[in-house]
Amino acid sequence: MLALYLAQIVNSGLALGAVYGLMALGFSLIYCASRLINFAQGELLLLGGLGIATLAGVTHLSPLLAVAAAALAGFLLGRVLFSTTLGLTLRASPLRQLMLTVAASLVFQGVAILAWGKNPLMPPRLLPLPDLRLGPLFLGRDTVTGLALALCAMAVLGAFLKYARLGRALRATSQNAVAARLMGINPVLCHSLSFALAGALASLAALAVGPQTGLRYDMGLGLGLKGFAAATIGGYTSLGKVFAGGLALGLCEAALVLVLSGELKETATYALIIILLVAAPAESEGERP
Amino acid sequence: MPAVSRKASLALFFAALVAIGLFTPAHRLLGVNQHMFLAINVLALNFCLGLGGQISLAQAAFAGIGAYASVLLHARFPGATLVIVPGVVLGTGLLAGLVSRPMERLGEGFLAMATLCVSLVCVNVALSLEGLTGGAAGLMVEHKLALPVVGALGGDRVTFFLFTLLLALGAYLFLAIRDSRLGRALAACRDDRHAASSLGIDRAATRAVSFGLGGGLSAAAGAIHGHYTGFISPEQFSLELSLKALLFLVIGGPGNLLRPILAALFLETLMGWLQFLGESRTLVNGLLLGAALLAGYWRRRK
Repeated sequence: MLALYLAQIVNSGLALGAVYGLMALGFSLIYCASRLINFAQGELLLLGGLGIATLAGVTHLSPLLAVAAAALAGFLLGRVLFSTTLGLTLRASPLRQLMLTVAASLVFQGVAILAWGKNPLMPPRLLPLPDLRLGPLFLGRDTVTGLALALCAMAVLGAFLKYARLGRALRATSQNAVAARLMGINPVLCHSLSFALAGALASLAALAVGPQTGLRYDMGLGLGLKGFAAATIGGYTSLGKVFAGGLALGLCEAALVLVLSGELKETATYALIIILLVAAPAESEGERP
Repeated sequence: MPAVSRKASLALFFAALVAIGLFTPAHRLLGVNQHMFLAINVLALNFCLGLGGQISLAQAAFAGIGAYASVLLHARFPGATLVIVPGVVLGTGLLAGLVSRPMERLGEGFLAMATLCVSLVCVNVALSLEGLTGGAAGLMVEHKLALPVVGALGGDRVTFFLFTLLLALGAYLFLAIRDSRLGRALAACRDDRHAASSLGIDRAATRAVSFGLGGGLSAAAGAIHGHYTGFISPEQFSLELSLKALLFLVIGGPGNLLRPILAALFLETLMGWLQFLGESRTLVNGLLLGAALLAGYWRRRK
């Protein structure tokens, strides 16, 4: 009985955890490059997912094409988000930039309402991966899809950041923008690239979460918050740790759902975030955003 | 701005509010009162952000705590308004101060997230304590605020003047603190926290005072609002209220007394007129707020 419970927790926890992990990667990319907390991250997922679902309904996309289309759509969305928020206010106070992402999330949500209405949309499963049984562990196809998408995206992103010239420039900017600029790196380009990559990650997360919970106009903030929480758990600096933070949050939530009721689960999650934020060790006070 | 013209503009503002209260038909004041409630929350947030430099997204939670506590206590002790409301305001203020203490050293973004989580925790607690709060279905409010000689305080016009009084009290407190020793300590924390610490300012304690005052003011507004509408639910005190308060404060400029309040009253009225847009309202609201944020930024750059 207990083993069955544990297997269920692992299955549903990993399914959501992979989504949280992808969101967290996007969050920390933007945060590290520009020290900006992006409130519209969830809306990137929403619009990307809705767009791909509609596209898949019109044309019959092959799985690989669907993934590529989602990544491209998210990339462009993220780029648009950059040019309407941070790109316009590079010298504004961080607070104004933060609030501008809130306004942007309202605009994105408004677009989603106008184009797709307020009813939840069940997108088709674009990646037909099979169920997986590993000894006592059973992973449903949503879990397998989420994990596969997340791990592949992470591998590509990791390789890009490590080996590509532009990726190294991005890392340099996130470590020290002034020094990077002295080395001839264009920081604005890096900021816009980080937004675009975050958009692509969010769009891929939509492919994973869509068939699980459906896509609804007001789901963005909740998912964005979970992504932020996961990034905080993971500590922002390393891709692997941030993603592991997402998985940990997903497993934690799945366990709480079985033990507590829905609302109490949310309460416990948010209380956990507060404790983490307050207790997280900072190298020095200046390091905190 | 020179002191004389500042006082004159304040006097003009409150005179305009009194005129609105006296000459607008009572049924029209329903919408105005919603905006006044928001404006008081903007002022309350100004204590944290404008004076102490601390962002907070928990304002709606404090307003909600004030409303629920006052309503629940009135159900048990009807007529004890004179004890209950000050008690609730003081209690919520203390709670806000206590909550802020461990979060004091967090930077802007992390503090926003932590206070946002405080807000979400409060909403979810209200949702899950169905026996006490009615859960998502909300709670009917049977008792009005009542004063010994005056009697029950209700109705659109009376509530409008209660809100105006509270706003005036808040504005007075804000100015009094800004020009005091405490205000200078808060300004030091806001401008350079390391320098403030090294000057011997107890940062956590100083900022807890401004946070607590903001929380108390929000709780008072929440109590008035809860008894006024006759019905309270967690939805009224959701994140949207906190976000709106922060947005209008940023648009008007934190630290400024009148401009954020005017921004809240003006833009909210404008968005109220946009009801006819139907489904495209969210989009237009977002564009409007974004434009207001950008306009403020560009004006300052010039």
